Amino acid sequence: MAKEKLQPDKPIAETTDQFPDIGALRLSQEFLQTAGVKKILMTVPVRRPLKQDFVRVHPAPEFREAFAVIELKPDNERYLIMPQIATAVPREIVTEMFYTTINRQRVVFLWPVRLPASDGRVIEWHRSAQEAAERAMHRWIRVQSNRNLSAYEIAEATGTIPDPEWPPEYTFHDLLRIAFRDRIISSFDHPVLKQLRGEC
Amino acid sequence: MLDALPFRHVIPVDFEFEFGGQDGEQPRSVCMVAKDLRTGQEWRLSRGEFGSLPPFPIGPDSLFVAYYASAELGCFKALGWPMPLNVLDLFVEFRNRTNGLTTPAGSGLVGALTYFGLDNIGTIEKDDMRSLVLRGGPWSQGESDAILEYCAGDVAALERLLPAMLPRIDLPRALLRGRYMKAAAAMEWNGVPIDTDTLALLRKNWTHIQDQLIVEIDANYGVFDGRTFKAERWERYLVAHGIPWPRLDSGRLDLKDDAFRQMAKAYPQVSPMRELRSALSDLRLNDLAVGSDGRNRTILSAFRSRTGRNQPSNTKYIFGPSVWLRSLIKPPLGYGVAYVDWSQQEFGIAAALSGDRAMQTAYLSGDPYLEFAKQANAVPRNATKETHGPTRELFKQCVLATQYGMEAESLAGRIGQPPVLARDLLRANRETYRVFWRWSDAAVDQAMLKGWLHTAFGWCIHVDENPNPRSLRNFPMQANAAEMLRLACCLATERGVEVCAPVHDAVLICATLDRLEADIKRMRAAMAEASRIILAGFELRTEATRVRYPDRFSDARGKAMWDHVIELIGKCSTAKTVKEETAA
Repeated sequence: MAKEKLQPDKPIAETTDQFPDIGALRLSQEFLQTAGVKKILMTVPVRRPLKQDFVRVHPAPEFREAFAVIELKPDNERYLIMPQIATAVPREIVTEMFYTTINRQRVVFLWPVRLPASDGRVIEWHRSAQEAAERAMHRWIRVQSNRNLSAYEIAEATGTIPDPEWPPEYTFHDLLRIAFRDRIISSFDHPVLKQLRGEC
Repeated sequence: MLDALPFRHVIPVDFEFEFGGQDGEQPRSVCMVAKDLRTGQEWRLSRGEFGSLPPFPIGPDSLFVAYYASAELGCFKALGWPMPLNVLDLFVEFRNRTNGLTTPAGSGLVGALTYFGLDNIGTIEKDDMRSLVLRGGPWSQGESDAILEYCAGDVAALERLLPAMLPRIDLPRALLRGRYMKAAAAMEWNGVPIDTDTLALLRKNWTHIQDQLIVEIDANYGVFDGRTFKAERWERYLVAHGIPWPRLDSGRLDLKDDAFRQMAKAYPQVSPMRELRSALSDLRLNDLAVGSDGRNRTILSAFRSRTGRNQPSNTKYIFGPSVWLRSLIKPPLGYGVAYVDWSQQEFGIAAALSGDRAMQTAYLSGDPYLEFAKQANAVPRNATKETHGPTRELFKQCVLATQYGMEAESLAGRIGQPPVLARDLLRANRETYRVFWRWSDAAVDQAMLKGWLHTAFGWCIHVDENPNPRSLRNFPMQANAAEMLRLACCLATERGVEVCAPVHDAVLICATLDRLEADIKRMRAAMAEASRIILAGFELRTEATRVRYPDRFSDARGKAMWDHVIELIGKCSTAKTVKEETAA
């Protein structure tokens, strides 16, 4: 192997234009395009807003719908009941409007508000809840029950709070499916109906 | 494999060098071995044989290959050789390839060879040979031959390593990183000017000063037993003063410096204790590496940290954690220094890279913290730092907390407020800067999905089996900030600015008084340009603090401690003079 200690031709001196266009080497930092991740809702609670919660209700009509439900009081469980079944057990069911709702912690849930009974009788609890839900379509509100008043009290946030970010990938029916998952009564053989009939 | 390299010459190079037996000196070349892998030509030079130019080509058709190149390039400086144009640093590329992962044998040359399953023969005697080299000359002929052979062993190792690494080296960006090693060599060569007289006084009286500091500072705390910090006494102090202190999972108080640093922000009375602990435990004045020319210099350990930042020794580098010691920085007669830093660099990077318009508006306002408070409707539009100082401070702490990935509990501790307020602040940040947060979430998602994240110029973090989402979330800001600093250092050093030290988001430069202003301008222009390149056109602001001889540099955070120490030195000197006079 040749060993060389002699000075070669004069080396080219240091220059600074080695990278004439450094910007061309720049790599994208657009992680939103490369990551490809969307949030998956695994749980959608069905409940009233908590007493400390400030909430908003989705204002679009397609994000609310009325359904017949059976509420098992001892277990505090709510079952969605298909219309063809509902007509067969009219005394067990109530009709509720489900509003798509979100709180400041970005938890999306369905807020059930009881609709007037078939005789048209209006209960103040239900009326005030509905009013609250409608108000929450445009303002951040807090709902608290007042037993002396026999109605819900509404507190409205007076500051300028940004509008909520709704999960864009989900339709109302997606939310409904997640919320009720295994609590949909679509046949007369459903264990809940059997229980109500005293068959089990 | 080498055919893929677009260079006529591919030349691994290794130097052996020493520092004249003293830390802080510039390197002195002992020998050099280089080999052109295309032609097989080899060059071996020992001390006394170096010419005025390198013996091998260093122009555009030549690739200079080294392992931690700033050492070799420092020898180039010492020999007065021009810098090679294209530098490929296999240390840097190995770090980039394995950053975030565990390597079986570290990141040294042996570690890289081991990683690739290559023979490390010729590199394992390193410690013995290094001692022989560092001992300094003269060496016997046998010793000189052994050193030269050892040096050739490293070149042979590079020859084996290069083909193994090449397939995954992103050459254009690797050369950009290599370019920084030239700037690092320049900065290591320049060093930071130090007031050596005061340093000598400090060193001479240090033990006495430490004792006095304990007596004076601990008088307000009562936590020391002699020179020992007692955790249970500190706990009693905290309880008595109602200070909620962070704890470890074990339930014990977190006594790391970081905890003290965080808590000192919310509870200023903690600060003197932090300084005292630092002065007693971390600060070893004799380790501060100052050469005979009065310059502090040490290896910058470029690309050592996960974010690609420099990681110089805390004890050898003047910009270590003891900020009060920075008052030792003093320009020599006829010179000035300037500390030039980017304003709110991380915030600006986050705003620019995420494309969050509200955040960009806040940055461009000049006071992003106050603007954030305005955007969140916490203060009126006409609020100023003077009219709404405390609120601004809360929003500032919130911004800083989000940069560290802090949760509400930690932020609450930092601002000395209940967690509910901290939660509101963090929520306001998420709501005001939604685009940023979506981008930031996506960065973490990408890291977890693909196993890596990279900067605008390809510095990578790889995700191992124990990922830290907070650190991944912060990576784009920190690592792109590091890219920006490196690029600015390249531009400035190549344009003739004497950059003495890179400091996180700043640099210290030195110049004769007549050219100080012009060099500050050049430095700031380089920093602005670097920010535009990294951030695709978005420019970050810079600020410059000037110090002209005979003044000294001062960091506001350490001024009180410095003044205190200087006062103690004065007392020591007076006491000694009285004692000597009495004895006489």
